[in-house]
Amino acid sequence: MGIVPKETIEVTAQSIGITNLSPEAALMLAPDVEYRVREIMQEAIKCMRHSKRTTLTASDVDGALNLRSLEPSYGFASGGPFRFRKAIGHQDLFYTDDREVDFKDVIESPLPKAPLDAGVVCHWLAIEGVQPAIPENATLEVIRAPADNKIYEHKDGPLIDVRLPVKHVLSRELQLYFQKIAELTVSKSSPALFKKALVSLASDSGLHPLVPYFTNFIADEVSRGLNDFLLLFNLMHVVRSLLQNPHIHIEPYLHQLMPSIVTCLVSRKLGNRFADNHWELRDFTANLVSLICKRFGNTYITLQSRLTKTLVNAFLDPKKALTQHYGAIQGLSALGHTVVRLLILSNLEPYLSLLEPELDAEKQKNQMKSYEAWRVYGALLRAAGLCIHDRLKVFPNLPSPSPSFLHKGKGKIINAEPRKRKLSADSSENQPPHKRLITTDGPDVLRPHDHTGPAPMHVDKPIGNYNLPQNSAQPSSSEQASDGESRNGKEKERGKSRAITMKAILGQIWKDDLDSGRLLVKLQQLYGDRILPFIPSTEMSVFL
Amino acid sequence: MDPEQVDEFVMGYLKKKGFNSAAKHLQESLHNNNGSSFSSIDYPNDPELTKLIRSFSQSENDPSRYREGYSKLRSWGYNSLDLYKHELLRVMYPVFIHCYMDLVGKGHTQEARSFFNSFRKDHEMVHLRDLQKLGGVLAPSHLQEMEFARSLRQSKINIKICQYSYDLLIQYLHRTESTLMLGIINEHINFQVYSGQPNSASDDIEAVTIVGSFHETADHVNQKEIHWGLLEDSLEDRLEKTGGLLSDSEKGQGESKAGDDSKKRSAEIGKQGSSTKKLKKDKAGTATTKVARQETSTVLSSMPRVKPELAMPVMSTDVEESILEDLRNRVQLSSVAMPSVSFYTFVNTHNGLNSSSISHDGSLVAGGFSDSSIKVWDMAKIGQAGSCALQDDNNQIVGKNGRRNYTLLVGHSGPVYSATFSPPGDYVLSSSADTTIRLWSTKLNANLVCYKGHNHTVWDAQFSPFGHYFASCSHDRTARIWSMDRMQPLRMMAGHLSDVDCVQWHPNCNYIATGSSDKTVRLWDVQTGECVRIFIGHRSMVLSLAMSPDGRYMASGDEDGTIMMWDLSTARCITPLMGHNSCVWTLSYSGEGSLLASGSADCTVKLWDVSSSTKLTKAEEKNGNSNRLRSIRTFPTKSTPVHALRFSRRNLLFAAGAYYMSDTVGSIFLNFDRFGIMAVFVNMSRDLRRATCDAIDRRSQIVVRFAVA
Repeated sequence: MGIVPKETIEVTAQSIGITNLSPEAALMLAPDVEYRVREIMQEAIKCMRHSKRTTLTASDVDGALNLRSLEPSYGFASGGPFRFRKAIGHQDLFYTDDREVDFKDVIESPLPKAPLDAGVVCHWLAIEGVQPAIPENATLEVIRAPADNKIYEHKDGPLIDVRLPVKHVLSRELQLYFQKIAELTVSKSSPALFKKALVSLASDSGLHPLVPYFTNFIADEVSRGLNDFLLLFNLMHVVRSLLQNPHIHIEPYLHQLMPSIVTCLVSRKLGNRFADNHWELRDFTANLVSLICKRFGNTYITLQSRLTKTLVNAFLDPKKALTQHYGAIQGLSALGHTVVRLLILSNLEPYLSLLEPELDAEKQKNQMKSYEAWRVYGALLRAAGLCIHDRLKVFPNLPSPSPSFLHKGKGKIINAEPRKRKLSADSSENQPPHKRLITTDGPDVLRPHDHTGPAPMHVDKPIGNYNLPQNSAQPSSSEQASDGESRNGKEKERGKSRAITMKAILGQIWKDDLDSGRLLVKLQQLYGDRILPFIPSTEMSVFL
Repeated sequence: MDPEQVDEFVMGYLKKKGFNSAAKHLQESLHNNNGSSFSSIDYPNDPELTKLIRSFSQSENDPSRYREGYSKLRSWGYNSLDLYKHELLRVMYPVFIHCYMDLVGKGHTQEARSFFNSFRKDHEMVHLRDLQKLGGVLAPSHLQEMEFARSLRQSKINIKICQYSYDLLIQYLHRTESTLMLGIINEHINFQVYSGQPNSASDDIEAVTIVGSFHETADHVNQKEIHWGLLEDSLEDRLEKTGGLLSDSEKGQGESKAGDDSKKRSAEIGKQGSSTKKLKKDKAGTATTKVARQETSTVLSSMPRVKPELAMPVMSTDVEESILEDLRNRVQLSSVAMPSVSFYTFVNTHNGLNSSSISHDGSLVAGGFSDSSIKVWDMAKIGQAGSCALQDDNNQIVGKNGRRNYTLLVGHSGPVYSATFSPPGDYVLSSSADTTIRLWSTKLNANLVCYKGHNHTVWDAQFSPFGHYFASCSHDRTARIWSMDRMQPLRMMAGHLSDVDCVQWHPNCNYIATGSSDKTVRLWDVQTGECVRIFIGHRSMVLSLAMSPDGRYMASGDEDGTIMMWDLSTARCITPLMGHNSCVWTLSYSGEGSLLASGSADCTVKLWDVSSSTKLTKAEEKNGNSNRLRSIRTFPTKSTPVHALRFSRRNLLFAAGAYYMSDTVGSIFLNFDRFGIMAVFVNMSRDLRRATCDAIDRRSQIVVRFAVA
């Protein structure tokens, strides 16, 4: 049958008080009702078209009823289009979401804001056929200048045989903008202004035509200015701003950008080895790399694999400098825990054995080398710790057969907390190596430099509450392990009440995933107690 | 088979058809000639013939026979030779709709419905809108009531078909004894058989529209003579005369003139408000401009001239001077010299803006609203005083003194469906659902006249190119011509089969064109009120019309986004312009007719090169193939459907539209089957500031909603 079944007619009849409608009458009426409804819809669509709209509204139906000299439907005209909800349990039964409103609430509520009055704003949609890149215009998908040239060639083919050179037209404003930004990046004189420039880079909509110029500029400057730490840092900031800009399609230029970025991550020498905190630059760049991989990894499948290959090569080459190793480790750990597990942890043991002599202050006389080695060690520890933390955090959720969603949501919220905690633990964990360096054989000359060094490195991480007191309380502690142990002990004390459950969970994890259990054991062997701060944090979630 | 049996069948047939006397006679003669054989055909041994005879006597009321017959014909058609397939398939549609209407007419509603639904897919692509209409026909009375159905029933459809296809079809129908199908085809299709090869599938546009008996009348009407030439002694003519003098002096100082040109343009633009943006220098090359101007002027002068049939209003000298000045400073446009587009965006209209229009110089913008009001903005004033206000508070655009910055014209008592300016911009003409047309003065900001005459909603009203006269069109299926000084219409044009949706004047004022919901465009003689052309080819409601400045061509845009270019003299479509994918609300030709601009509900303005195409068509006429016109540029807006377009006399393009705020950009549909969650919808607001994420479980209840501000 048609759209209107006879049941609808019966229901409608009942609703207006006709109880003795015969089924034959309903059967006769149904097609006619459908015809009338279609007729009204046809007129309503006309009204909609003449109102220059593409969505049908209640007022259009009223207009149609007016055209047919019928009474309009009342009570539907205000507001936007109706939202229909599907009735639960029925295939195609819908109802309007019409809530009951308490009259008192309506009266007591303050008057709503008056709707804004209609107005007209004016802008240039195009100037001599070219759309200016202003916020009022839709963002351009691609640069069109070269394409246009081709079209002309094509269509005027037989008439004009001149091949127009592919010319990229840049407006004067854009040229100035580019010059200014390039100047700011290179000059390093006014950080405040540069910050503003970065904000503009990250938000302006009309910058797309400049992207090739920026990529070129970055590549040039990076290759030229490897000794200029601040320049490199500025350049990486520019890259990040460009990546953040939602109006820019940076994908086509990614292949030009990547070499510069990787250079800033794993280059042997970035700026002055002593005076500049190139660790910070490497960390920053590692974040950048992970950002890129997250955003474009899906579209460019080879991107991550190629990147990992480069980094692993740098990491596993014993001839490379420790700074390079550090960059590679940071880069790999930024790529995610799977990468860490597969590539770092599998190579951890031989690597640590290589690193061992460098760590030992007695054997390695060069302080700088020793310091670098500790940095690498810290990076490795952090990578491994984050990885194992992640694994432990994930597991308790998996085996439970079907936890209600609400529960899981709660769990997640709680989990966010320990992460912070862990980070703080991690930062404090990262620091002891140089503390030790300072306290054992650090001459006074190095002290200020070292303190300025690590401080900016952890700007993006919340510094642990008990980090500072520790710094002052245990400066003389030359034993790294005891340091870790004491803290670990503290935490264990706190978690004592829940120790049994913790143990149960741990047991379950190890039962469920022997691999990760083994991993943990191995890590513990390698790192001793230093890995532990990463582990209890998971249990802390239960505690909290 | 027994001869007695045959006699029985014949008797049954005659009785069923109501030939009672014939049946009696037969019976009598049967009695008389009892035993003697009277046939010369050896029918008992011819099984084909017996089947045929039997089929005649079978009850004709069996509804399943329609389905059977049609589906057989259909599968035969789809399996026929590729070369003839499209011609044979063309027959399907009329057979299909008539089968359906036969079934409805005989009261088999149920069967009709199921028949319709099982085969409508085949025809949806081409005839979607017709099918939507027919789908509502469910009772015999509807067939009588609905005009479309009635006209289909009463008239025959012309189908051009080549000799061989025709033979194939007839052979098939005879071979399979599909008498029912044969009957329908005989009754409703008029074959125009021609010898030779079948036509290519694409070029036969007429095949897709079936508008009853239209074709015959259309062919007849389209024989009439029309004079599409420009008016004698028009301003363009005068400009040429003076321009000829100018060009002599120009030769020495071509460069400076061009520089002057762009200066004037920027002055003009400055006047229009957004003076903050600078215009770049005209890079199109002054030399080419000059050549183009020479060319077009020669083209224009070669056009035939006609005398006006109406008494033309006298133009005041200063208005004339200003127009001449504009024409002198007109920028020549072509596919390499693009116009600048200034876009007026209506904000905060709350879906209430029904129509908008821009005055010829772009200084005034009018909007007709569904709350019966008309609002007129003076863009020059906004540009001067409002620029600082704009920066202060760009949400609420108010003047410095806090008052609204438009003129509110109140008078109508129904949604206003059009508001247009007179050519000099001193009057506004509005039409409304209250069946009236009102004339307003922009100088006095008051209503001057209320014209009553239409019986239904007036959809559109347009001033003639010289003012004074105006045309209107309405839901009452008429278009009317009025003059400003009379309360009654001067002419009434009746003939459209459905609403007349848009109206446009020919540049020489002797004709008006109307577009209608019956999918045709008609051209009417203003003096006689006769229909002189019918343009058939659109597949849906015609929404917009534009006439080329040389008066030779017309463009019309429809609901589906198709634009058709028509040659007025031959009433043939030069070529359809495909590109838009939603309603084409507005069309406008550039001053010298080389570009066509179209604005659509898909939020784009497109520019089409129509000069090269018209040149091409001359060559094409020899070749006999049609190629499509090119879209040379597309300007997307952010989220503004384009309601109105107008080329100024200096060829600056103005566009207007209401910003359409849709709350959600889109939803991402994912499927997580674990945890009993079916899907996650992510809705993001258009400004990308807010997003909600709903997780939906199997019972389609929202389980969790995250909101990100």
